[in-house]
Amino acid sequence: MTIAVQGVTPDTFEIKSATLPLVALVLKSADLDALARELEARFGDIPDFFDHDALVVDLSRLESEAQGGEHQAVDFPALLELLWKYRLAPVAVHGARNELAAVAKAAGLFPAPDARIGTAAAREANAEVVQKVVEPEAATGALVIDKPLRSGQQVYARGRDLVMLAMVNPGAEVIADGHIHVYAPLRGRAIAGARGNVDARIFTLGMEPELISIAGLYRTGETPQLAAIRGKPTQVRLVSDAEGNRLVFDPLK
Amino acid sequence: MTRTVVVTSGKGGVGKTTTSASFASGLALRGHKTAVIDFDVGLRNLDLIMGCERRVVYDLVNVINGEANLHQALIKDKHCENLSVLAASQTRDKEALTKEGVEKVLGGLSELGFEYIVCDSPAGIETGAMMAMHFADEALVVTNPEVSSVRDSDRILGMLASKTKRAIEGGEPVKEHLLITRYNTQRVHQGEMLSLDDIQDILRIKLLGVIPESESVLQSSNQGVPAVHMKGADVSEAYKDTVDRFLGEEKPLRFVNGYKPGFFKRLFGGN
Repeated sequence: MTIAVQGVTPDTFEIKSATLPLVALVLKSADLDALARELEARFGDIPDFFDHDALVVDLSRLESEAQGGEHQAVDFPALLELLWKYRLAPVAVHGARNELAAVAKAAGLFPAPDARIGTAAAREANAEVVQKVVEPEAATGALVIDKPLRSGQQVYARGRDLVMLAMVNPGAEVIADGHIHVYAPLRGRAIAGARGNVDARIFTLGMEPELISIAGLYRTGETPQLAAIRGKPTQVRLVSDAEGNRLVFDPLK
Repeated sequence: MTRTVVVTSGKGGVGKTTTSASFASGLALRGHKTAVIDFDVGLRNLDLIMGCERRVVYDLVNVINGEANLHQALIKDKHCENLSVLAASQTRDKEALTKEGVEKVLGGLSELGFEYIVCDSPAGIETGAMMAMHFADEALVVTNPEVSSVRDSDRILGMLASKTKRAIEGGEPVKEHLLITRYNTQRVHQGEMLSLDDIQDILRIKLLGVIPESESVLQSSNQGVPAVHMKGADVSEAYKDTVDRFLGEEKPLRFVNGYKPGFFKRLFGGN
């Protein structure tokens, strides 16, 4: 939509409406050291998890906890620096009242009281720190790639499964929030359940990976478990039992 | 119609320039008007291999910057009448190459009636290599039978399929050919080198030719005579076969099964 002002069209610019998908960081504590630790634990091994996604900092939790009492002071410059490190682009704050809003504004975050932030996941017991404002449409199904993935190339199936119909070569990387199916040799890295889905699995017709990871638990290609099934059709899943969490490699028959 | 062919590999020292020189010469020997361009701005090797280093006055960057025209910069090859060489600049760096500039040069060569333009890519995946491949219609991916070379070729194949003009504009993809150089049947037999099958298993593109490892390549390089001109040498024959296949002829692979056990091996057997 172009907004014309008084019928005069300027030569140098046009004002258009635009929308931007945002991720929201629901801040539950102003303790940035703790936040840094938890971010590191969650995303430390996938530093390019975010792709310069615009982010809104949701301060409503902090505000409600401070109800009537003193605010926890938020060191916004340090917070911004931390978020930039994870390739997030903080642009706004949500749910901040007067003082906190003023401090945030001074740090360059404009107030966005109208931002619609998803709430369902936040109520779960182990709620993720970061959640999508705009959830990917449920019916998208799997991302299907039918060309070989060569060294240096990367595919991320955000919020869904990934189906590779051609090989994943050494130096290539396949990432999915759901399962990964490779109907060809898997010789690069495969990261399933990238956002913590412990039920994600990896299937391939030829298991020769450089690295396998499910929900953050990983094994390199040199793990002894791989020796017996190298090059064979294999399924990998994450098993949690009395022995702890481990990746189990089963041959596919 | 002009066809632009990039000779590329990712890895250095695998034989890109040797191949560019011999491949371009081979096309010219078959009667096609051919130009070969050195994109290795700042290093400049092709003119040495072609033996025209003392005749370089203007180079690729001069033409791009409009300091010389193509007529002034093109050097006629002394072995083939149909072949011209456009040298790289030794004193500049690869930032001097721009898409517009390269397009202008390729367009100019097309107007001059060149049928094939062979672009000798520098190693690596930086500006020079990207510029050399950007306008390519076909690509010769030069690979040695060793893992690092195969991996780098794999990377380059990925870029050919995503970063070139054809890929960006969504046209017909760049036609990819695999050329395996420095292939030593004996070392493959001993398991020291990757076999053709090993390489094909990873790269999975059409094999255009196999150039055997040979002393004569070094000799010909130092004499400034492209290897394709070495009469009777395996390398020369292999390059000629490669050119013939490129031009659409069916030719069986030669020099890939030449493993001859040594005298004592034959006498006493062994593994």
